[in-house]
Amino acid sequence: MPLDTSTTYPLTRLRLDGRRWNELRLLQAQISTNPASSGSSYLSMGNTSIMCSVHGPAEGRRGDAAGSSGAVVEVDVNVAGFAGVDRRRRGGGGDKTSSRIAVILRSTFQSHLHTYLYPHSTISIHVSVLSSDGSVLAAAINACTLALVDAGIPMPGLLCGCTAGMSGSASTPKDPRHDELDPLLDLSLPEEQELPLMTIGTTTVVPGGEHNMDDDEEETTVALMTMDSKLHSTYTETMLAVGIDGCNQIRELLEDVIKGSNRG
Amino acid sequence: MKSLRRDFSSNPQAANVTSKVFVRSTKSGKVQKIVRELYLRQDIPCSSKLCSLCPSIAPADANGNITPFILSDRPAGTKAFPRGHYLVPDTNALLNGMDLFEHTGAFYDVIILQTVLEELRNQSLPLYNRLLSLIKTDEKRFYLFFNEFRLETHVRREPDESINDRNDRAVRTVASWYGEHLRASSKKGKKKKNLRKAKAENVTALSLSDYVAGLEDSEKLLDMISEAREARDTKGSARGQLFYPEYYSMSKLQTGLRAGTLHQGVFNVSPYNYLEGSVNVPAFDKPLIILGRDNSNRAIAGDSVVIEVLPQDQWKSPSTKLVDEEAVTRNDNPDTDDTEAVVTDRERKALQEEVKKAHGKNSEGKPQPTAKVVGVIKRNWRQYVGHVDSGSTGSQAASGRRQQTVFVLPMDKKVPKIRVRTRQAGDLVGHRILVTIDAWDRDSRYPSGHFIRSLGELETKGAETEALLLEYDVQYKPFPKNVLDCLPSEGHGWTVPASKEDKGWNGRRDLRDLLICSIDPPGCQDIDDALHARPLPNGNFEVGVHIADVSHFVKPNNPMDLEASVRGSTVYLVDKRIDMLPHLLGTDLCSLKPYVERYAFSVIWEVTPNAEIISSDFTKSVIRSREAFSYEQAQLRIDDASQTDELTESMRNLLKFSKILRQKRYDAGALNLASPEVRIEADADEVGDPLADVKTKSMLATNSLVEEFMLLANITVASKIYASFSQTALLRRHATPPPQNFEDLMNQLSKKRNMELDVSSSGALANSLDRCVDPENPFFNTLVRILATRCMTSAEYFCAGAHAESEFRHYGLASPIYTHFTSPIRRYADLLVHRQLASAIGYEGEDGHAGLEGVATRGKLDDICRNINYRHRNAQFAGRASIEYYVGQALKARGEKMAVDGTDKGVDEEGYVMRVFENGVVVFVPRFGIEGVVRLEDFVLPGESSGWNVTERRELAAHRITDFDPEEYTLRVQEKGHSEKERGVLVELFQRVHVNVSSVKEEGRGAGKRRVRVLITGASDKK
Repeated sequence: MPLDTSTTYPLTRLRLDGRRWNELRLLQAQISTNPASSGSSYLSMGNTSIMCSVHGPAEGRRGDAAGSSGAVVEVDVNVAGFAGVDRRRRGGGGDKTSSRIAVILRSTFQSHLHTYLYPHSTISIHVSVLSSDGSVLAAAINACTLALVDAGIPMPGLLCGCTAGMSGSASTPKDPRHDELDPLLDLSLPEEQELPLMTIGTTTVVPGGEHNMDDDEEETTVALMTMDSKLHSTYTETMLAVGIDGCNQIRELLEDVIKGSNRG
Repeated sequence: MKSLRRDFSSNPQAANVTSKVFVRSTKSGKVQKIVRELYLRQDIPCSSKLCSLCPSIAPADANGNITPFILSDRPAGTKAFPRGHYLVPDTNALLNGMDLFEHTGAFYDVIILQTVLEELRNQSLPLYNRLLSLIKTDEKRFYLFFNEFRLETHVRREPDESINDRNDRAVRTVASWYGEHLRASSKKGKKKKNLRKAKAENVTALSLSDYVAGLEDSEKLLDMISEAREARDTKGSARGQLFYPEYYSMSKLQTGLRAGTLHQGVFNVSPYNYLEGSVNVPAFDKPLIILGRDNSNRAIAGDSVVIEVLPQDQWKSPSTKLVDEEAVTRNDNPDTDDTEAVVTDRERKALQEEVKKAHGKNSEGKPQPTAKVVGVIKRNWRQYVGHVDSGSTGSQAASGRRQQTVFVLPMDKKVPKIRVRTRQAGDLVGHRILVTIDAWDRDSRYPSGHFIRSLGELETKGAETEALLLEYDVQYKPFPKNVLDCLPSEGHGWTVPASKEDKGWNGRRDLRDLLICSIDPPGCQDIDDALHARPLPNGNFEVGVHIADVSHFVKPNNPMDLEASVRGSTVYLVDKRIDMLPHLLGTDLCSLKPYVERYAFSVIWEVTPNAEIISSDFTKSVIRSREAFSYEQAQLRIDDASQTDELTESMRNLLKFSKILRQKRYDAGALNLASPEVRIEADADEVGDPLADVKTKSMLATNSLVEEFMLLANITVASKIYASFSQTALLRRHATPPPQNFEDLMNQLSKKRNMELDVSSSGALANSLDRCVDPENPFFNTLVRILATRCMTSAEYFCAGAHAESEFRHYGLASPIYTHFTSPIRRYADLLVHRQLASAIGYEGEDGHAGLEGVATRGKLDDICRNINYRHRNAQFAGRASIEYYVGQALKARGEKMAVDGTDKGVDEEGYVMRVFENGVVVFVPRFGIEGVVRLEDFVLPGESSGWNVTERRELAAHRITDFDPEEYTLRVQEKGHSEKERGVLVELFQRVHVNVSSVKEEGRGAGKRRVRVLITGASDKK
């Protein structure tokens, strides 16, 4: 039986895998991994690895009104049977978690991408979770972003996802006299099972024409924030701040990946 | 096609990432392979104050704090390492010697490795928890070093290496790293212990006992090394006889449990017969009986065991004999048990006689299903208080320091004696000592354990009090600093803010002009409750109960709250009070003292003159109590017709209402139960009769005045919080006892007194108890009530979601719902209820965000309930044991004072027979509230020239014959060879007898132990 975060973290300030509170796991990514698709990427954050491919924008399937104002984003998430600890054989139709991730991704990218440029067309994103070790949603967002960039679909900025958690007793309000908070960045699976967790996605918006072009400061927008766990409201602000910081770190890494790739 | 293979070489970070792979099997038998990443780093400090390198790399946590360095720059030295050393124990050292590491005399500056901590957790969770709490305390300077994450000390498992070897190597690697690291940064040696291979790697390794031998006081410390493992190592499998059958394998147990052929339950031992145990299992109504050592198979009272029912021909009736371990196994020798059978002849004989009884006709004698223990799910071993059996120490005890094996007799009679190896046997005789059980192997008749510490000499106040507290697991250590830090900084100078604008007044009602008073036992300092009543213009009355607002001072989840939740309850001993909350709160700031303003939580009702409740209201308030009465003072004031002031009038009104409420409660079927309690007034002067302090509790009308209103407040609050929190409300229930619990008592009553007990409902029981009256024996009714109380289950706290609403009933009070609200100073449950009620009435708190404070999640509440139920029970036990001890001491003091010719004549009193056994009876003496076992030798037969000496009397037992009738519950004791007329005495159940009570010192083997002896001097007037 290995140790767990709640007992040892307060003693050593080291997490189960040896990270400090504000460290990301090792992030590695490649783009254009699958030449057959319009855009594709492979991304791993620690032991979570995701493969993503984008098709489109292609002509919409039906000529109805659905896509008249812009492209429709379709997301399909497939968690491999060998992704978790237990090998699981799935019946058709996907399970609750993967369809949840798909819905979140769809709505996030639907509003994030400049879809109005492609009326009556469809952008379909296929996400394959090859191995899942926590922060799957965040990793999927990052992988999608890379694949969409690879596909050349215009977007206002890179959309990066990251998770933040809170160790300690987070279901009760924080004690104003003991103002110690222990937020954690980029949770791995054991931590995810133990602690409340928030997934945050941010994007930097390149200021448009009406805005002041001289302003160097990029404006960060939180495009996505989702949390399933119970958490006392007093902690959310801290977690949000930590998560945004994590997203900024990831953005730099992703930018390096994009700049470093020399697509044929 | 592009390859998906990851290219690590391009990423400089990747070099430091490795992964840990391990395989585990789940409960359902699946095998899982777990892969975890490991990020190796170089910024894990060594935490030594000697080091000059690490402070610069030590990282900050999320709040920017850097953990202070722990290990001292002047570590202590030993004979072997005069220049000082740090210790790096391996897992075995901790497994064998955790008590040593907790010892305050040595073992400072210890480095605990992550590897070791993980291994320890796998091997023993309790030890792991003890180690964690050691690491958390500052004074012992234990440092948890995460060696697996440090680049230099990370060890990869070699292909053919076993996991144990790897871990050992990891420990050695750390030790040598520490050595080099500290040498580089400063000059000081460092040593460690781990065996053999260490030499090769140039690390000093010592076995635990070798290390300890180099310390001061080594003898005392050596005893504390766990007996079990070392013995197993040396003796190995070569040892001879196996006394006990083997336990079934885990998978066999699980299959059996699932199939319903085996049952799981908690092992209980009969207080009258140490060889008889019982296990309550959900599958049957009545507990299964477990007879004899063979069947109980190394289970100790409290263990969670798996049992198998024995074939019907082995079913027996429960024992009708008093069997005392000390008496039966008096002559066992602790060293030579290899040659003895597990069941000695004497024990076997004791059992045989029980089989004979199996053919009785009434229900008490009917053979009942018996079972044997086939597995232990969870040991519930704790530390036991006991004393060394002086008979088991060798004659050479006083001489040399040779290690020898002695028996320790635990204070708890249900626990078998424990074999302990010690070098200080001579010193320990006559002391209260604390021991722990390490193991009970198949080849050993008694469990083996080791000595932890001595509490002091037997019968000294300090030692006995500490023994009681340890035995009942009462937290008696002073409050740690972080708890005291939570107290208001003003200390005793704290007052209710004068200005109503102050945030302290938020949401509080000003009730300072109400005539409120408190009524408590004399000398009470922690005043929880106060009352008032006043007429309203419409002819009704306003009645208020005001409870100390403890939740204002104890905020959820701060160290003080956590400490209180662990303590659970204040424990009252005769001469000592172990507080749940620090003194400052309990006796001053929260206590509703008279003449000063205090925060309170008030429940206010409007009642009609007939005590019909029209409305109830809850509010936080500020009150000023006008007077603090004792029960007697209040009674006098009410009775004094000349007093007509408003306060007295309001008390008279309260009294009037309480009488109506009480009647209503009884009409609804509440039980009037009795407990055999006496009260000690310890402040009596030294010269008088010490026994004068022992008083039976008297009930004044004012006692029940307070009680009725507290009950009313509790019930009102219970409904309120349940309405607001249907899942998490903290309530208290008293389950309806199953009718079979009363079977024996009903039988006895109908047989001996021709009385009926109707147990169909609490009301019926109350009525039938009222009819159990013996005109010639006024105490008889109380006796029956005491016995009936013992047939019931105990009340318990629970959270509302845990039971269906129909199960909420409080049987004794005949209330559909109940909780504890009125004593937050001394009970944690009340404090939680206060928080829930505050949130239910929308109280916002000082800073306006107290909205949901204290309404914890269900899971957490369940844990809290389990703990406070356990603490509550233990607090009661400890209180009773303390009174019992005090009565014994008072008897002894009196004996010494009154003894004219050197022998103690004892006190003549009246007693009542509670239970009849084959070789003795149990007598209850109401004057002292004690139950005494009367053995054969303790019957004073007519015409006997009474010799009072204990040893003389013991001889008598052999000359006596008994005639025991289990169906009539009678026991005739007579001298051999005499006709019954002249030298015989007949005792029967419920009979009033004359007894002589004295405190005697056991002689011979149990020397130094004292017991209250009850002699039956004559059967009293039988009709």
